[in-house]
Amino acid sequence: MQPLLNGLQAWLESTRLSYFMIHSDFAWPICECLHFLGLTLLIGTVGLFDLRMLGLAKGLSLKAMHRLIGWGVLGFVINMITGSMFFAAIPYQYIYNGAFQAKMVCMLLLGTNVLIFYLTMRKKVEVLGPEDAAPFGAKVIAATSLCLWIAVICFGRAEAFFKP
Amino acid sequence: MPFYFHWFHWIERSAFSVWLRESPSALAFPNVLFLHTLAMGFVAGTNAAVDFRLLGFAPGMRLAPMEKFFPLMWAAFWVMVVTGLMLLAAYPTKAFTNPVWYAKFVFIALALVNTRLIEKRIFRDPDVDVQPVPGRWKLLAGTSLVFWAGSITAGKLLAHTYLRLFSY
Repeated sequence: MQPLLNGLQAWLESTRLSYFMIHSDFAWPICECLHFLGLTLLIGTVGLFDLRMLGLAKGLSLKAMHRLIGWGVLGFVINMITGSMFFAAIPYQYIYNGAFQAKMVCMLLLGTNVLIFYLTMRKKVEVLGPEDAAPFGAKVIAATSLCLWIAVICFGRAEAFFKP
Repeated sequence: MPFYFHWFHWIERSAFSVWLRESPSALAFPNVLFLHTLAMGFVAGTNAAVDFRLLGFAPGMRLAPMEKFFPLMWAAFWVMVVTGLMLLAAYPTKAFTNPVWYAKFVFIALALVNTRLIEKRIFRDPDVDVQPVPGRWKLLAGTSLVFWAGSITAGKLLAHTYLRLFSY
């Protein structure tokens, strides 16, 4: 594992992207702004969808609300791209960073959670009326999603305080 | 040295300010930043969802029940204010000597007025779920997106644009 990580680090540090991210006055700040705007899109769409499944804001149809998830996906894509750019710029800051590792574990769990939702709950949720309560399984998935996204933000903030 | 630097110095020397900046506890500065970020996501995110709906995305979603998210949004707003004041107490000189900080403040003030207008003009309207959405409501949604995105962008840039960290 270690030679693999060392190789990845050395390769990333040799890329023009890494050089650009470190030496440009604007690249890093602009990526940070985009990363935070992406975070906001995710909470505003996925977060509110989770809250509705948990029973807040009855009267909203989950099927209709799901149309907003596209904005959350956009936020996620923005954050994957900008996040990868931070990682490529200074890989040693992240590879050995406990907060970053925890954040990645949360992201994997979130991916699994999303998969479980679409495989088991999507049809059950789609047929619900605006006033209907979501099934218990959907509530568990929603609560898991909210907790994990909050943890992602927490670890994301914490990783900047880590000095390797 | 301008006279107000003495005030900044007094704040920076206070036990609370020193604790925020220098405590190794994760409850100090990192935690305040985390709560500020989380609250930002809920406040701007909830507003963005309402704005997207007003602009015609997710047209099948009723607007009126979206107001049920507002108590949570306002609670998050106050978390944002309190943690923001704590960040200010930690680094007053850094904030007040940076023009970008004033830009952020103006953006937040505009965004706040905009959100209150959406609450009063749109959600108080008995025909809140009228289709199509009136043009002036869409305008409010557009300006809301611009102001909240401006607040976030200016806020994030504070870490990169400050001119002076301390009064001394």
